[in-house]
Amino acid sequence: MEVIEPDMAYGNYSYADYLTWTMEEMVEVIKGRVFKMTAPKRIHQEISWKISLKIGNHLIGKKCKAYAAPFDVRLPLKSKRNEDIFTVVQPDICVICDIDKLDDAGCIGAPDLIVEILSKGNNKKELKNKFEVYEESGVKEYWIIQPEEQTLTINTLVNGKYTSSRLLTNGDEIATPILPGFILNLEEVFDQLN
Amino acid sequence: MEVKEPDMAYGNYSYADYLTWTMEEMVEVIKGRVFKMTAPKRIHQKISWNLSREIGVYLKNKKCKAYAAPFDVRLPIKSKRNEDIFTVVQPDICVICDLEKLDDYGCVGAPDLVIEILSEGNNKKELKNKYEVYEESGVKEYWIINSMGQTLTINTLVNGKYQASRLLTSGDEITTPILPEFILSLEDVFDNLN
Repeated sequence: MEVIEPDMAYGNYSYADYLTWTMEEMVEVIKGRVFKMTAPKRIHQEISWKISLKIGNHLIGKKCKAYAAPFDVRLPLKSKRNEDIFTVVQPDICVICDIDKLDDAGCIGAPDLIVEILSKGNNKKELKNKFEVYEESGVKEYWIIQPEEQTLTINTLVNGKYTSSRLLTNGDEIATPILPGFILNLEEVFDQLN
Repeated sequence: MEVKEPDMAYGNYSYADYLTWTMEEMVEVIKGRVFKMTAPKRIHQKISWNLSREIGVYLKNKKCKAYAAPFDVRLPIKSKRNEDIFTVVQPDICVICDLEKLDDYGCVGAPDLVIEILSEGNNKKELKNKYEVYEESGVKEYWIINSMGQTLTINTLVNGKYQASRLLTSGDEITTPILPEFILSLEDVFDNLN
């Protein structure tokens, strides 16, 4: 049977199209354009695991829910119909506090918090394409982790635009209004990454 | 002949002490404390080379001067006497526009622009110790490059405190009031790093 897959040069794919694709590789769609995903390295998975664990523990008995990729986050402009949605992404970790945004497929609407862990090399997708669409969609905080250099940059939405924190690292303790009472000790996230 | 070297646990070394040490390894002193330096990786050197080239070409026949490590930058608090200076660092690249700061050893006083290139592992020295002393000393712009993630964060001094830019990357074109009309295309810095 023939595999149905997107044309990487085409720029107007919707979530409805995304659901018809049958190739094995995972892709993301941002404003209609298709972006390949590369298999994450061990260091990426180790950090994702540690952070998921900490957020997961904090959220026990609380209202917000957290998910790790793969998890379809659809960012609609106005309509929630699959044909009208042109962005579907797989954030490394996301936290959603408005449970109405959750459906069987994943999340429809902006998560409150998104964490992306960069890889070695070109990260334009996270730093430009996703940065832009997360900002426009109203993701309150967009955390960007660079595992090799052990840094975290927190982008906070202020009047519709992201303001960036300094490069946070081992020794910094992170708190966020999205998760009251939660403290993330970056020493615990980055240390012993071997 | 016995090698003269510092005690890593001691916290009040001055530039005068620094000048008496005879061990081979290079060290930095920040507020009296000694910090080892690790040999830079190839990717670090390639980025440093690319940046030095771009800045060097721009500065030809201009007033400001640029230097790459090793280059002694002393950050005095008040006095310029070697016994009264407790910080001497080796920034990867620095730009100095006030030529009175230059002497035979290097630079005494804050460069206008300092660039540090982070490598894999613990980068607390650049992200905390140097960040703090550059801010206090009045380095107008402190650029931090993540060599693996291919990002640039520009910290700009505003009312004595640094404000961070978003994570800039290939595709971004950088300008700075310190180098009028200089345009740095980050594609030229990060591409072809293999």
